[in-house]
Amino acid sequence: MTFVVTDNCIKCKYMDCVEVCPVDCFYEGENMLVIHPDECIDCGVCEPECPAKAIIADTGPGLENWLKLNAEYAAVWPNITVKREPPSDAKEFDGVPEKYEKFFSPGAGQDD
Amino acid sequence: MTEMATKRGVTFDRVDEDTIRQLIDAFYSKVRADALLGPIFAHAIPGDWGPHLATMRNFWSSVMLTSGRYKGNPVAVHKRLAGVEIGMFDRWLALFGETCRELFAPELAAEFADKAARIAESLKLAMFYRPDRPWPLTVRKDEPENAPESAS
Repeated sequence: MTFVVTDNCIKCKYMDCVEVCPVDCFYEGENMLVIHPDECIDCGVCEPECPAKAIIADTGPGLENWLKLNAEYAAVWPNITVKREPPSDAKEFDGVPEKYEKFFSPGAGQDD
Repeated sequence: MTEMATKRGVTFDRVDEDTIRQLIDAFYSKVRADALLGPIFAHAIPGDWGPHLATMRNFWSSVMLTSGRYKGNPVAVHKRLAGVEIGMFDRWLALFGETCRELFAPELAAEFADKAARIAESLKLAMFYRPDRPWPLTVRKDEPENAPESAS
């Protein structure tokens, strides 16, 4: 059991979650974050912190692909533990549908 | 003040650093005296308990107050522990729930217990889940718990 980062994080990447996560289990891509499913302890602290409401418990329906994506990229992207400035156009992308299809980048984020 | 309140049978109606400290102190006193859990903790923390109590205060502060005070990797720490059996988590949760109910108002005690149960499940999965075994793991009487793959 874990939480997963989903579509609406893409290009919003507010990063409020990384400040509150007690176990530092967020990993950073170029335009989104993911949660390492083997490090997350399911404490739920990050869920209400996400302004984009992109963090969801993996017990919800239809999250298999997101769980896979979180696991896959947590293994290759760098760990992020300190919040930085979100993208200047984050607000404009909040709520845009199908961001994965349009904007997902497999590129890694910067290191802490 | 709050301590006096508890002694009179009044429970805390707020979670803050002070009430978390009292919870941690009371809970780990019970753990150390417990026949099942005591030896596991005594083995893992052979000396001064001060640092562990501080760590646990920070952990619960992070979980309940989103203070970000704890930073660590509890999954890795638990995987290194010797002698832990999956059923011990139930005992841990029972003692923790009992202590929370003694100290906090029912809805706050329930909030602690809910968090603890979810975190315990994650730690159990990390320590005991194997892809080739059913989950939840059922322990049969005729089978040693957490048996190694091969005797060495």
